[in-house]
Amino acid sequence: MFKNQALTDFTIEKNRAAMRRALDDLERSLRTAPLKAFPIVEGQELTTAVSFRREDPSTESRAVALTSFAGVAEVERALVGLSRGAAAWRSTAFSRRAEIVRRAAALMRERHFELCAVINMEAGKPWREADADVAEAIDFCEFYADEMLRLGPPFKTMEIAGEENHYFYQPRGICAVISPWNFPLAIACGMAAAALVTGNCVVLKPAEQTSLTAYYLAKIFLDAGIPSNAFAFLPGWGEEVGQALVESPLVDMICFTGSKAVGLQIIRSAAQVRADQQSVKKVVAELGGKNAIIVDDDADLDEAIKGVLYSAFGFAGQKCSACSRLIVVGSAYEPFLARLKEAAADIISGPASDPATLLGPVIDRESRDRILQTIARAQARHTALFVGTPHGGGYFVPAAIFRDVAPDAEIWREEIFGPVLAACQAENFEQALKLANDSQYALTGAVFSRSPAHIEAARNGFRVGNLYINRGCTGALVGRQPFGGFKMSGVGSKAGGVDYLVQFMEPRTVTENTMRRGFAPE
Amino acid sequence: MGAPAKKLEPTPPSAITPHSNITDFGRRIFRLIGEKQPSTFNKNYWSGRIMEWSMRRPDFKLNMFRLVDVLPTLRDSASIARHVSEYLAPIGSDLYRPLGWALDINPHSLRAKIMAFIVQRVVGQMASQFIAGSSPQEALKPLRASRRRGQAFTVDLLGEYSVSEVEALRYLERYLEALEVLRLATPEWDERAPLIPGHPGDLSPVCVSVKLSALYSQCHILNFERSVAVLSERLAAIARKAQQAAATLYVDAEDSGTNPMIYEAFCRVFSSPEFAAFPYPGIVVQAYAKEARQVIDKLLRFAAARGPIAIRLVKGAYWDHETILSTQNDWPSPLFSFKQSSDANYELLTQLLLDNHAIVLPAFGSHNVRSLSHACCYAERLGLDRTKFELQMLYGMADPIAAAFQSLGYLVRLYVPLGEILPGMGYLVRRLLENTSNESFLRHTFFDSAEIDNLLSAPQFQENL
Repeated sequence: MFKNQALTDFTIEKNRAAMRRALDDLERSLRTAPLKAFPIVEGQELTTAVSFRREDPSTESRAVALTSFAGVAEVERALVGLSRGAAAWRSTAFSRRAEIVRRAAALMRERHFELCAVINMEAGKPWREADADVAEAIDFCEFYADEMLRLGPPFKTMEIAGEENHYFYQPRGICAVISPWNFPLAIACGMAAAALVTGNCVVLKPAEQTSLTAYYLAKIFLDAGIPSNAFAFLPGWGEEVGQALVESPLVDMICFTGSKAVGLQIIRSAAQVRADQQSVKKVVAELGGKNAIIVDDDADLDEAIKGVLYSAFGFAGQKCSACSRLIVVGSAYEPFLARLKEAAADIISGPASDPATLLGPVIDRESRDRILQTIARAQARHTALFVGTPHGGGYFVPAAIFRDVAPDAEIWREEIFGPVLAACQAENFEQALKLANDSQYALTGAVFSRSPAHIEAARNGFRVGNLYINRGCTGALVGRQPFGGFKMSGVGSKAGGVDYLVQFMEPRTVTENTMRRGFAPE
Repeated sequence: MGAPAKKLEPTPPSAITPHSNITDFGRRIFRLIGEKQPSTFNKNYWSGRIMEWSMRRPDFKLNMFRLVDVLPTLRDSASIARHVSEYLAPIGSDLYRPLGWALDINPHSLRAKIMAFIVQRVVGQMASQFIAGSSPQEALKPLRASRRRGQAFTVDLLGEYSVSEVEALRYLERYLEALEVLRLATPEWDERAPLIPGHPGDLSPVCVSVKLSALYSQCHILNFERSVAVLSERLAAIARKAQQAAATLYVDAEDSGTNPMIYEAFCRVFSSPEFAAFPYPGIVVQAYAKEARQVIDKLLRFAAARGPIAIRLVKGAYWDHETILSTQNDWPSPLFSFKQSSDANYELLTQLLLDNHAIVLPAFGSHNVRSLSHACCYAERLGLDRTKFELQMLYGMADPIAAAFQSLGYLVRLYVPLGEILPGMGYLVRRLLENTSNESFLRHTFFDSAEIDNLLSAPQFQENL
């Protein structure tokens, strides 16, 4: 039976000390030089001419990683290598593949705090978020290993005399995994582990900003026993390496998590058939969200405020599940906003390495500038309920809440991927549901209510992939809350759910006529 | 059974109280209680009915308590009528036919208005059994009455969770204000005279219990240093005011994630020179915590260095919350899994505290006649008189038990919550849950009429420490 990897209990002093130690160790080594990461092709680490320098987003000045970036030549070399390895990997017993993926989980467990520290400094993820990232990566490996054992054995479709019908799955071929920076370990690991355990060869192309974390993951996969010609690691520019992968006739499947714009571009590009292409490319894409929390007029406001603040501002709002729209029903609007404003003023913003931090830095300069501009535009158009003062030093932006935002406003419709929350009042619960559903996206949502009838109405009528009742809208757990949405939030079924692995495989049916001269097995 | 005693240092055999003494003592208490019932279980009232149904029907209990929880938030009678129907319609009328009158009605009708009025009254009545008033002014009368009956009190201010510093500081302000109100009022009381002459816990009639975490909105274990610093500063402000009011105080224990900061802040404040002369600053230890023994050891070392402190020993009130949290997160629970283990630990720790009476004033907070009888008998065995410890009980929970111990000459202190009904509702629901729980001593005593000798039997550890 699958069991989630426990998050670290930081109420225990020794756990806090272990995390501190890992951060200090990394800090010390960074004082000498940034860590280095390389593309890995056929088990070989490659040094290339292009080197990417990644700063610690909490301090801006300190380099965390120097990564050799792959280019088109490395893409070609990697894909050719994988094509050669594909047959062996696909015919490796599924139970053996599951075992290897489990071993990767075990290696991550052993290096838990070290991985947390890398994520903390490279992605600017505060303690609890970094910890959850590692736990989720472990969960994906264990869950998909279990799933493969379930789906691996061929099964008979029906019992018919004189005939045997078997149904079974085969891998698609070569899968390009293009992963985001916001869950630099978990999502990269989840997509790659799913593709590998189902027998596909994988090229992992991580987000530029978190190449180092992904490099750790790549080495863990190889150490765990993924054959060197079944897995390649290609850090590089999206426009170059990502695009080359999407367009290559050797790639059979693309598994992507990221922005709507890039996702749609991948879908378009993957649809074009190129010379020598053998299969129609399958695309699984998890895209954005514009997630709403409804606070009913009978809600427990203490709980609702905690839930809204953490969902909107935890990891600076840079989760696809983050809350960016707040809908308060009727007479609760003013009292709720008054308390929310005071509470927002006191949340702790600071470097990700400070355990107290809730609102850390955003991912990079570009992101910071874009969010600051969005806030400035919103300040000109809407009533600011609260705009904080950004912490100094790194890529920090303030938490911002705007009130009375109309449903046609930019900050109501567009995903910002930052700590910006748009609030409005609904006349009643029914209207609140309408407002919540009025979005291109349908990823997560939450309702705070103590009315059984309203909770029931939300269950059916709040149409998102992951709905949470009386809690915040982030923090889905593998297996327990399979994660993913629909509409513009993506194509493909839920990560960490029972339908996920099937997408990485093609089902086949084999029928044998077992009757010879009227004689058939019993 | 009893195996964990190996890990705890065993109490010397000479000091162990014979079980028969405790049983005799307990039987005496039960004779004094007689037929009296705490008002909670009094079936003449609607609230007594509700309690009775809650104990008989778990589905009713769940929905009723959820209704009670949401009620103070509802702003009009239509909304109350709607919620009453939603919660009680599925189960209400087959439980008690006349309830059908209140269910499935037009929320804007006159009937809805009447029903809303009645419901609010009933719940208000239930709350007033456990909450002495909405403000310190309002509570003066019941507080004074408790002293007139010969019972000391400690005042607790019910607070909402503080989501912001504005709220945390407002909460701090309420403590200072309560102390000021009591400082001004009590000198005129005839009842200020010591209840038990020479009892160090009763040097002054005024005592407050402080819920520390609500004094800082960003109190979190990952914000340890700052939390302790801010809590210490705000606790010091209350202690300063308490000194002016000649009051004593207890710092309440909370959940396991918060307690390390609470103990740290307590020691920081009361080791400072400013409060060197503060008489018997009080702190709470929860016997249901597997680490309770270590916590007491630390506090004893603290008291040895600082001068005497008061320690209230309780079983602990966050069991359900913490047990669910540990299960959800797959963490080993910091608490005992079985009520009986907590009871057994309570007795071990009782002995430890009484053994150290030179530096600790123990306060035994419980409604369990067995636990309290054990404490009284063990104290007697050590030859300690009634100025060396006290008993504490929650206001409105167990009046007949309090009266029985008091009549034998023990100092009984009531823990008296004050506050508005909205922040008080969480407290009310917890008390109702406690009273209706299958493991509740009060329920066994007053509702189920369990055999007295069963109630008085010695608890055994059900698990290893």
